[in-house]
Parts: sequence; structure tokens; C-alpha cells
Amino acid sequence: MIQVVRRATTVLILALFACKMESKPPATDTTGSSDPKVTSTAAVGTSSVAGARIAVAHAGPPGEWQMPAGDYASSRYSELASITPQNVANLHVAWAFSTGVLRGHEGQPLVIGNTMYVVTPYPNVSYAIDLAQTGQPLKWKFRPENAQQAIGRACCDVVNRGATYADGKIFYNLLDGHTVAIDAATGTQVWRTKMGDLSRGETITMAPIVVKGKVIVGSSGGEMGVRGWIAALDASTGKEVWRAYNIGPDKDVKVGAKFKPFYAHDSGTNLGVSSWPGDTWKTGGGAVWGWLSYDPALNLIYHGTSNPGPWNENQRTGDNKWTAAILARDADTGEMVWAFQVTPHDMWDYDAVNENILVDLPIKGQMRKALVHFDRNGFAYTIDRATGEVILAEPFVPMNWSTGIDLTTGRPKVVETKKTAQDKNVKDICPSLEGGKNQQPAAFSPQTGLFYVPTNNLCMDFQARAVTYIAGTPFIGGNAPEKGGPGGYRGEFIAWDATTGKKIWGVKEPYPVWGGALATAGGVVFYGTLDGWFKAVDARSGKVLWQFKVGSGVVGNPVAYTGPDGKQYVAIYAGIGGDMGLLIAGDVAANLPYDVRERGTTLPDIARWTSWGGELFVFSL
Amino acid sequence: MRIQSHCLTAIRARSVAALCALVTITACSRGAADRGDTTKATSASPEQPAVSHVYVAGDSLRLMAHDEILPVGFPASAKPLLIKNPYEGDKAAISTGGKLFIAYNCLDCHGADGSGAMGPSFQDGRWHFGGAPGEVFESIYQGRPDGMPAWGGRISNDQIWMLTAYVRSLSSKDLSTENFTGKTIERTGH
Repeated sequence: MIQVVRRATTVLILALFACKMESKPPATDTTGSSDPKVTSTAAVGTSSVAGARIAVAHAGPPGEWQMPAGDYASSRYSELASITPQNVANLHVAWAFSTGVLRGHEGQPLVIGNTMYVVTPYPNVSYAIDLAQTGQPLKWKFRPENAQQAIGRACCDVVNRGATYADGKIFYNLLDGHTVAIDAATGTQVWRTKMGDLSRGETITMAPIVVKGKVIVGSSGGEMGVRGWIAALDASTGKEVWRAYNIGPDKDVKVGAKFKPFYAHDSGTNLGVSSWPGDTWKTGGGAVWGWLSYDPALNLIYHGTSNPGPWNENQRTGDNKWTAAILARDADTGEMVWAFQVTPHDMWDYDAVNENILVDLPIKGQMRKALVHFDRNGFAYTIDRATGEVILAEPFVPMNWSTGIDLTTGRPKVVETKKTAQDKNVKDICPSLEGGKNQQPAAFSPQTGLFYVPTNNLCMDFQARAVTYIAGTPFIGGNAPEKGGPGGYRGEFIAWDATTGKKIWGVKEPYPVWGGALATAGGVVFYGTLDGWFKAVDARSGKVLWQFKVGSGVVGNPVAYTGPDGKQYVAIYAGIGGDMGLLIAGDVAANLPYDVRERGTTLPDIARWTSWGGELFVFSL
Repeated sequence: MRIQSHCLTAIRARSVAALCALVTITACSRGAADRGDTTKATSASPEQPAVSHVYVAGDSLRLMAHDEILPVGFPASAKPLLIKNPYEGDKAAISTGGKLFIAYNCLDCHGADGSGAMGPSFQDGRWHFGGAPGEVFESIYQGRPDGMPAWGGRISNDQIWMLTAYVRSLSSKDLSTENFTGKTIERTGH
């Protein structure tokens, strides 16, 4: 009964909210104020958790989607509220668009004004789609110069995780290591800057963000023996402003006077060299291929770093700083302010590049400036984003490699029998190297205070072996066949309370959930599945309210926007691929796009449900 | 004709100098690419005259009427020639090739036992740049535009031939049918 009353209230509030949103409101704040606005704390009042989305003023108008995660905080939250649990059953395809490319469509489109911007996997074509005209004709199409060799230098399919928008320009990265700026109105290339060295295996797949006139980009190539970096380019000229390596001497890593790590063992001189044997740091990985966040109040950029290279831990004894770490850097200079190594001396390929969601949370009676991170290693971390202190860390998927995180040091307690070693076959390690979660980004709703997290439930056997560094070839030294995790499901879409470290509900999926999440003010959360379902679930209960079978498996992330007609739309890429595509597509590296077929035993049956395809689907009521 | 027979000699004599080998092998495999795998093509298309397509290049040459170059009787007397791998089917060489496959990081691109990963599978019977010995040699020697590095000059031709033998030994037939309606997925090839 109480439930019913609550629901009625929800409807009323949402209805009011929806009316407001229908008439495309102007930007709530365009001043670039550094004062983070607290929008709502448990606005609807049905959740036990309160949470405040930060930096909402920097996301652009609510009806637009200007940056990869919608805002600097990586919330993936839309304030649009027309689509609700009550009416979502009426959702239908409004229109669709083939991208002309058949590889893994990670990432998401952007919507600015009445134009949608789409970036494809390699060859990284971009399209500007006119939403104001019937039939959604193109305004322009841009085909970049993009070296073909990059296809075979990318570890995990030729994905691109999207573009970002600022000052009339679209910025994105090319697989061959370039960053480009495109005039959003005309499609003309404004500048093109070479950032990565393809001959050393440096590709770029990540989505940049623009912070105070600088485009922030990072390298891929953790499986190729690169030395990972993050860099800032002048948004108007494309000139490099700063570049910080994640491994090496303090000067290169930008460790100096500002560096104040929370844990004592992270203090010292040149740890990026001394935590490696000999010169191994020069080929040690630590790439930046995941998502970026930014806190305007602290002026800090947050990014993760990839696995150390090679996988064979025997060749790189020590902590291997700063691989598999979360780093906070000064947005103006790139100087490191704090660092937290999530998995010191990683030996399972647990990159720490997953998104860092910035949100203010009430924890033990105190409002904390939190950073919430769902790591490959299977732990969900709630961290103080000002200091790097781990407030809590709990497993969010089945795992057996660690018994927990020691909160006095932040380090995992590792199970001895799950340690990998050269020339050994260590069996049944959970999660697998794909992680409890991979690149598929989670979303946060300030209405419920919950995080919506697409997860994997996979385990692996790990066989490490000696490997030689040969520039431009993989520097891996390991093989890790995967299998489904305990419980008979291989993925789950969960709601997570980051103030307590507890799962609230979950939707079990037959396949790893490799697509991202979108939370909306309508109380509906969206995600797509590897077998090609696009789903809407109730943000509070987790009940699946609606689903539609799209043209290919989903590894992309939904966005919401307001169309020229004032209606709310939800858009998602279909297009199976990415690292999961590698596992299931025997022809993955072919320039000939054959079908999806089994490789190994991880997903022996996926080919029944889906096939290659690159398509944008747009839904409305 | 002269080039082709020269090739054959060169391939049979493994001690040919590297530069010479590069020239002759390139010339040979270009011929091989034009012809395709003659044996396979013949058996797959029984309705076609067994050797007619071999002479396509010759026919176009004839149209150019370079009598001063074409030997008497060309192309009627030409026999299809395929580049042979001196190590084809040689168990010791295949085993060494397998070790080279790991040492040169081929495995981390093409997967354990060539099952496919960053790079294409060698098990699926699909050869994007041709699966004949000369074609595989050429892929390793010269590299391929999608990211396969060029190993010619970095490792010995002998090693490339051993890798060729190993890689070809992994191949099985392509599957034409996958039936998903049963409890297990039934796969059949041709």
C-alpha cells in the first residue's frame, strides 16, 4: 500500500518535471562557475540513499549531450523525464541510421542543438545528422586520413569511444594516434595533431574531454609495451600544452610539489622507475584508454591507467607504479596531485581504466566528495576524490583472487593460490581478465542515489610465459582462456549503493553486459546487451519494463536528448565487437566482415543471437 | 617462362642469397597470385578446362604482341608453377616454426595455436591474403597493410619458411553451415 502511494507521488513529480523538459530549456548555467551545483538529493524520496550529482552546470542544456558521459562527473544521467516507468512500454523506433562500418560500436553519439554527431570505429568516419529535417539527412560527413596499419596494432578491436564538443568544434581521436578537431557546422578539419607513435603500438580509442580550452587525450597500447601517457592540447590550435607519462621518472610523470598521496607507501622519489626492475618501466604499459572525469571545484582531472606490461609478472617484479592506478592531476598542468594504485603489481590484466564517477555522498553521517569506481579487479571503490583515501571497497561481482581490501593501505589481500606465475597454469581465477566490469560505463541517478552498473561474470585460467619486447608487436606473455562465472549467467546489470558497498538489485544476463548505462530523471534506466536487446528498467526496482531487439549486439552507451519537436529521444549504437567481439568473432581482425562465430568456449552460443552490424537506433514515445 | 623456371631453381636451391631470393620470390608469387592455387581451383571447378585460366596473363601478353620477348610457343608450352616451401610437411621444421611463432610474438596477435585474436585466425581456413606457401611467405616477408609487420630482413628466409609450414599446419577447413536449432551447435564444412 505504501508502495502504491509512493508511486503515485513519483508520477506526479515526474509529470511536472516532464512538462518543464518538453520545452527545451536554455542552458542552466554557462558561466563556467567553479561552484558545483547540488541538483537534488533523493528528489523523489523513495530511496534510502541520497547523492548529489556534481558539476551539472557544465553539462550543457539538459536536452543536449555534449560530452561522452553527458557531464564532467561521468554521471551518464539525463534530466529528461518524459519517458517513465508508466509509459515506457510505448517506446518505439523513431528512426535508424547505418554507420557503414561493421566493427565494435563502443561509445555514444553527441547531440548539440538540432544536430547529432556520430563517430564510427576505424576508419573513424564522423557524421553530422540534421535532426530538424524529416528523414534526418546528413549535414556533413568527414573521412579522416587514418593509417590502415592501426587496425592490426589495436589490441581489442578497432573501437572508438566517442567525441566531445566545445566552442563549435567536435574533437575526437583516430585509431592511428591522431587527435582531430572538426568544425561542427561545416565538417571541415580545423586541426590534426599526431599524438601517438603507431610503430611502437600506440593507438588511440578513448573519448577526449575538453577542460578550460584544452582537449585531454590518452594512449592505448597496454598490450604492446607502450609507456602510457595523458596529454592536453590547445583546443583552438591543436598544439600540445602538457604531456604526463604514467611510468618513469618524476619529471615525466609530473610528480612534484603538489603530489600528496593518501597512503605512505605511495610517497617517494621516482617511484615510477624504482618500482620496476631495470629498464622495464620503459615498456611497462599504463595506458589511458578509458574514461576521463573532471571536478571543476578541485580543478582535478581523474583518469585510470591500464595493466602493466607484459602480463607475465615475473618480468617486472615490484609495484609497477603507476599502472592499474587511479590518478588525479591538475587540469592546467597535468601535475599529479594524488595517486591510488588499485591493483599493485597486477598479474591478472586488471586495468584500472574504468570510469570514475564524481558524486557527493552521505557516508556515515558525513557528506563526502566521493569518486566511485567499479574496477576490473571486481571491487567497487568509494574514494575521497580530494585526497585519494579509500572510504570503502566491496566486491560487486563473484570473485576469488582477493579476500578484501585492507583499508589502512588500500591494497588488496591476495589469495596465494590465485597468483599467476611464469610457466604455470593457474586455474579458475574470478573475475577473468575482462574484469568484473570493463569499459562499459556505469550511470548515477541523483534521484535514487544509486549507481547502475553493467557487469561481467567470467572466470579464467591464466598461463604466463616469457616474452621478448619487439616494437610494434604485442608484449603480453600470457594466455587466459575464459569461461562463465558461478551461477550460470555471464553478466548482470546491477544497482549499487556506494555509501554502503551493497548491491540493491540485479538483472541477470546470459552474456557479459558490454554496453553502458543511462539513468534518466524519468526513473527509467537504459542499457543494451551483447545479444542485441535494448532494455529499459525501473531505476528503483530493477524490473525490466521494455525491451527491443536491435540489429546487432550492443557494446555502446545510450544517451537521451530533446528533439526539435520537444520530445525526449533515447539513442543507442548497435554493433557487436570490442574485446568481447574478439572472443566471439573468429574473423575479428579481417577487413572482410564475415559473421560472428565462436572462438573458445566463453560465448559458444552468441552467434545464434546476433551478427556484425553498425547502426544507430533512436527511440521515442 | 624464363622467369618462372628461374624461380623454380631458386626455390629448390635454398642457399640463394637473400636479395636474390626476394626478387625471385616476389616475381614467383605474383605469378602464383594470378593463378591462385591451381590444384584447388581445378578440383573446385570441374566444369572448367583444367588449365585454361593459367594462361590469362599470357593471353593479355600476346595481345601486346611483344614477339621479341615472348618465347616461341608461349604460352602453350608453359606449365603452372607453384612456389614450394622446402619445409612443407617437415615435422621438425613445423615444430621449430611453432617455437618461432612464440618467440616473435606472433602468438599474442594471432592467438594460441593460431586461433585468432588481434590478428586473423589460421584455423578457420580463411586466408585473407592467400594460403598457398608462397602467399603465406609473402605475408610474413613483406607484412600486410592491416598491421602485419614485415619480417623480411629481420629474420632469415629459412625461418619464414618454417613459420609458413607451421602456420599452414594449423589450418582446417572452413565451415559452411552452422545449425543452431539443436542443443549443441552443429558445424559442417565443405
